Amino acid sequence: MSESAPRDGRIAARVSDRKGAAAPEPGGRKNRGLGRVLVAVYGVFALSALARSVWQLFGVHQGEPIFPTAPVAILLSVLAAAVYIVATVALASRRRRSWNVALVAVLVELVGVVAVSVLSYAAPELFPKASVWSHFGQGYGYVPLVLPFVGLWWLLTHRPADAVVER
Amino acid sequence: MIWDGFMIAGAIVCAACVLIGVVSAALRSYPTDPAVISLGAVEVFLLVHGVASGIRQAGPQPLVGAGWEFWGYLATALLLVLLAGWWAIGERSRWSNLVMAAAGFTVFVMLYRMQQVWIGQGWF
Repeated sequence: MSESAPRDGRIAARVSDRKGAAAPEPGGRKNRGLGRVLVAVYGVFALSALARSVWQLFGVHQGEPIFPTAPVAILLSVLAAAVYIVATVALASRRRRSWNVALVAVLVELVGVVAVSVLSYAAPELFPKASVWSHFGQGYGYVPLVLPFVGLWWLLTHRPADAVVER
Repeated sequence: MIWDGFMIAGAIVCAACVLIGVVSAALRSYPTDPAVISLGAVEVFLLVHGVASGIRQAGPQPLVGAGWEFWGYLATALLLVLLAGWWAIGERSRWSNLVMAAAGFTVFVMLYRMQQVWIGQGWF
């Protein structure tokens, strides 16, 4: 059996006939390979953080609006949702400038998760309701703490191809 | 968590999806047929769950929590599986399998939350 041609899953090959070798991407290969898993995980967090913060902002529990019970924690959840959404889009995007946007988003995420976690231990009275980033992402299996480090490593090892730099 | 039929079936289907996805990623450098089929099984399970829940609403243990929340989760999960499948197969590589595994795990977490909404307890 020759190994010259890469094998492929029959279903996947039938559904998508685009071959992996596509046109060069100005934004680098950050949405390729493992990067696709990263985008998927960021996407799940963007979705859940958005749903959670919309519910906490506008929702009503047993006749009482939720927001006044923990405004600081909830506003920080809104911030987390915004950062995850920007990071997901920027990581998935093929544009050159998206790399910089993704880097800023991931750095804000890193600072945010550490700062909010420390604050949640230092001033627990501000967090009667947990936030996505409080207590080092405990409620989410500590994934929020690990994610920005993985994201940062991935971005730094997958910079966009830049003709000026590569000269 | 209550291990009723939905939870047991859901856990098995999602666990199979995660396991097959991870093993496929370890052994193969392309999205394998079992991984795609197991993700499809998650979608089929969600559809059956939806129909059965519509019928269950009239039964002995109706929905206690917010209806829009339960059905919102179900609709989101259905969409998420399709989106994950599209994103996974968009570039056919070893990592496609892990994207599908991640979707299986996410759906399991959503099922757990849906059950909390159904029986009316847990955080909000």
